[in-house]
Amino acid sequence: MAEKLLNQGIVSQIKEVFSQLKEPVEVLFFGRKEGCDYCADTLQLVQEIVDLSDTLGLKVYDLDEDADLAEQYHVDKAPGLVLAGRDGEQLTDYGIRFAGIPSGHEFSSLIHDLVLVSSRDSGLDPKTRAFLKDLKQPVLLQVFVTPT
Amino acid sequence: MALESRLVQAEMVEAMEFPELSQRHRVSGVPQTTINDGAGSVVGAVPEANLVAEIRRVASKA
Repeated sequence: MAEKLLNQGIVSQIKEVFSQLKEPVEVLFFGRKEGCDYCADTLQLVQEIVDLSDTLGLKVYDLDEDADLAEQYHVDKAPGLVLAGRDGEQLTDYGIRFAGIPSGHEFSSLIHDLVLVSSRDSGLDPKTRAFLKDLKQPVLLQVFVTPT
Repeated sequence: MALESRLVQAEMVEAMEFPELSQRHRVSGVPQTTINDGAGSVVGAVPEANLVAEIRRVASKA
């Protein structure tokens, strides 16, 4: 068996955070066979994370072989992750994605976002919610981060 | 915000793995948040109200 990426200390911490999970979340992983240095590590990392809760699931796709699905979820980079809500067999795409390996600070962002999607509640200020409700055009937010 | 609105998509991009995209958006400090492929941009951890203001600015130009 391959060595685990998450040590026991981290696992206990994540499990504690995951006690807040409410509704099911499905992680859609999009990899690529060639030229993807971080696909294997990212997949293993995400697999280890979703294994820590029955509320979380993982589906594994290929950016090229599952191109239609990737386009549907607006995934154009590998490794790519989509955090979708799951209700029975029904998946809801909230437009929340990660491109690249979620390590370092992004690791906690991923854990936090899983809990957020699971809550189905943005927790935003009422003023922000009102502003977003009145949006007329699409908004793409890209947050550039580095693993340190 | 993406959770709140179907019109909003939020993508976290690991800048080192996608250098071309990072260079195109002139990412110098992280985190950097770009709006609609460069129509707007905020460097650093951005308070909710400031991000709303920047999205509002971008939307008003469109």
